Amino acid sequence: MSMEDYDYLFKIVLIGNAGVGKTCLVRRFTQGLFPPGQGATIGVDFMIKTVEIKGEKVKLQIWDTAGQERFRSITQSYYRSANALILTYDITCEDSFRCLPEWLREIEQYANTTVVTILVGNKIDLSEKREVLRQRAEDFAESQSMLYLETSAKESDNVEKLFLDLACELIREAKQNKLDNNDTAPMPGEGKAISYLTCCNIN
Amino acid sequence: MATEELPSEFDVVILGTGLAESVAAAAFSRVGQKVLHLDRRSYYAANWASFTFNALLTWIQQQQEEPQPQEVQDWSSLLEEGEELIYLSQSNSASIRNVQVFCFTSEEDEEEAPDTTEEEDSADPQVETEEEAEEASHKEGEEPEPPQPLPPPAQNQSEPEPPQTLPPPSQSQSEPEPPQTLLPPAQSQSEPEPPQTLPPPAQSEPEPPQTLPPPAQNQSEPESPQTLPPPAQNQSEPPQTLPPPAQSKKKISYAHLVREGRRFNIDLVSKLMFSRGSLVDLLIKSNVSRYAEFKNVTRILTYRQGRVEQVPCSRSDVFASRQLSVVEKRKLMRFLTSCAEETEEQRAYNGRPYLEFLSDQKLGDNLQHFLLHSIAMVTEATPTEQGLAATRHFLRCLGRYGNTPFLFPVYGLGEIPQCFCRMCAVFGGIYCLRHSVSCLLLDTHSNRCKAVIDSRGQRISCSHVVLEEGFVGAERKRSSTPPRFLSRAVLITDGSILPTDSEQQVSLVTVPPAAGGPAVKMVELSPSTMTCSAGTYLVHLTCPSVGSAHQDLSPLVTSMFRTPESPDHDGPSVLWCLFFNMADGSGVEAEGHDLPENVHLSSGPDAELGHEHAVRQAESIFQKILPEEEFCPPAPNPEDIIYDGDTGDTEGDTVNTGDTGDTDGDTGDTVNTGDTVNTGDTDGDTGDTVNTGDTMNTDGDKTSPGEEEERQAVSEE
Repeated sequence: MSMEDYDYLFKIVLIGNAGVGKTCLVRRFTQGLFPPGQGATIGVDFMIKTVEIKGEKVKLQIWDTAGQERFRSITQSYYRSANALILTYDITCEDSFRCLPEWLREIEQYANTTVVTILVGNKIDLSEKREVLRQRAEDFAESQSMLYLETSAKESDNVEKLFLDLACELIREAKQNKLDNNDTAPMPGEGKAISYLTCCNIN
Repeated sequence: MATEELPSEFDVVILGTGLAESVAAAAFSRVGQKVLHLDRRSYYAANWASFTFNALLTWIQQQQEEPQPQEVQDWSSLLEEGEELIYLSQSNSASIRNVQVFCFTSEEDEEEAPDTTEEEDSADPQVETEEEAEEASHKEGEEPEPPQPLPPPAQNQSEPEPPQTLPPPSQSQSEPEPPQTLLPPAQSQSEPEPPQTLPPPAQSEPEPPQTLPPPAQNQSEPESPQTLPPPAQNQSEPPQTLPPPAQSKKKISYAHLVREGRRFNIDLVSKLMFSRGSLVDLLIKSNVSRYAEFKNVTRILTYRQGRVEQVPCSRSDVFASRQLSVVEKRKLMRFLTSCAEETEEQRAYNGRPYLEFLSDQKLGDNLQHFLLHSIAMVTEATPTEQGLAATRHFLRCLGRYGNTPFLFPVYGLGEIPQCFCRMCAVFGGIYCLRHSVSCLLLDTHSNRCKAVIDSRGQRISCSHVVLEEGFVGAERKRSSTPPRFLSRAVLITDGSILPTDSEQQVSLVTVPPAAGGPAVKMVELSPSTMTCSAGTYLVHLTCPSVGSAHQDLSPLVTSMFRTPESPDHDGPSVLWCLFFNMADGSGVEAEGHDLPENVHLSSGPDAELGHEHAVRQAESIFQKILPEEEFCPPAPNPEDIIYDGDTGDTEGDTVNTGDTGDTDGDTGDTVNTGDTVNTGDTDGDTGDTVNTGDTMNTDGDKTSPGEEEERQAVSEE
């Protein structure tokens, strides 16, 4: 598992109210399936998918909330080392949209300042029940300098695009970073070479 | 959202999210128990929490407020036949007292005696960058410590392998960058980011590459003994010969600290992780380590006769040390080698003080001091067998990840309980902060607690309850009388107590007992640990309480730092400080409380440097309830989990899942949810090394340069 061949590794973290479809987005993307009913993902920390973008292999490690959002009790450490955040709400649920500022406060508190945040309105397959107008969400996203995308995990609309766009953006930033820092900061995905030399003890 | 009702049936209900409770929660959940984990606080980790500066100010305010008497709600209407209520204590504050805060810096940004070197900068309104620029220029240009009697070392530092710099073992990984030495300034700028850019959290733990503290470490050696004229005076009168380096910097204002508040992660407890201690072992074994990253503690210092010295602890340190004579080096190496195993001679000292054993080894004052206070970290009265055990433990931990036996979690110790909580949640545990339990519901026939009643009057049935001891009134608890406390101080300073070229040192400072007081353990954290903002250091002091925290620790603060009471001190300035006492968790007995047999008490942090107490407690609670089950078996590696259901043919042109050279190539998208523990594979590379090990590997080959160094030392003399 350790000596994989990839050019980048990014950690992507999902947040948003319970029931907006975070887990479905991940499973749709990583496994290509839409779970009927909410099969709790016991014991699964994150999902992995490696994609290829312009000839570069990008490994995406996608973390879900483990249900801690249900009672507003997400650990700070969950946000710590994310490269990107997918802030999700349900377009058929006004309440999930109104909670966004609260989520943004958490992001501001605990996430890395350079984290890439994308706002996702999920469940566009239920557009007849839509409560949040697209324009409103777009305006909000723009005011917070976030990207915005509407998806349907069920119909697989825009799911692939969501993750691939993020991956492109992350690569762009990583390259930018590399330029800025003149190679001093390790790139995501670096340091993957692992060796097991034994340690020096004094005796 | 939190209006949703909690489920009403659990196997284990756990109150409090401190380390012991969180480890227990993860352990239960991991083996399939249904866990409800609650905390009445709005934050995780109870008295183990870390706060941003602003959150800490809020916490302080809460502690200083009069605890308002909580109206006890009467839930007796919920009782059925044969049931009784045991009300729990709802006040948060019993474990914290004597909170005192001092701010020694100006409220607003201001300029303090702009130094000649940095005129242009001082015109710039951007405080933060200015400081960085200034510090950077200190490093390249003027030396903060002019009276450097040994020019060569400063130079050596830029060569990859000058004999006496002895890059600490961990460096072997980052070794391909000679430009390292030019980096520090640039690094301090980019420093808030490094850990995030790291790869798989699972592998990233103690990553060496971005910290790059190593080379600088050697610098501290020449400095410590030589730059400060030996004072040999009492501690209140530190020597005054240096132009205080701090003065050339602009003083960081309180407003600045508040503005940069989120950069701070200030721990309520101060501990370190022994790299072969039970916490690190547990993190690795359970795979919880994938949720956190760690830094090496880069050096061990001691405060003696009014000055700070580096303690040589690894073989390379010993050889590189400039404060030890050749004879001392030999003696120390011989001693450390010999105490690795138990000998007849040692046994003869069983029951007698370790100090006596040491002094009979004719090691001399220097070595005796290091061995007693900084390596064994025991008192003069500690029996020899304990002293030797502590010494061996220290030596075993040395070199596993770095040059000292210790690791520190990036973002602070408060991360660790949260990591275990995450593990619990991943296996189905339900989390709810800001939520408490008012009472336990006792079945009077069986004398067991059959349910709890939460603060909203919901009845939640359970087979076992784990309670943070603060929930239990004193009348039901069996604990030491009088209750023991720890004295804590937290300082934000503007410089390191023993500056080196690297601003990223993480130091343990041992302060032997003075004038009958207790020994003080001090940890100085640099911004590389993501616990303080650029240009500041976070200093934690801890000792067993004698008086209030302020009484116990402020004399030491005054003697080691510049404060309004020690305005002429040449050490770093204290910008802001906090004193408080915290209940000592080791004062609470494990058994014998007046509680139903299925209610288990856990206690808060103890005074020890390591985490053994909490881990042991969690494990013993777990084993009492589930004696047959394994404690925290490895969680499956997500990359090895195989999913039930479809055979994933992932569509999409750009997406190729399978071809990553994944060890179990075919995993990709298939088969079997749940608990499919990988075993085979992970075990292979996890074993002992998992993340913690990998990146940190240290090679054992430091001897030769070390010996060279010794030769050189000889010729110097």
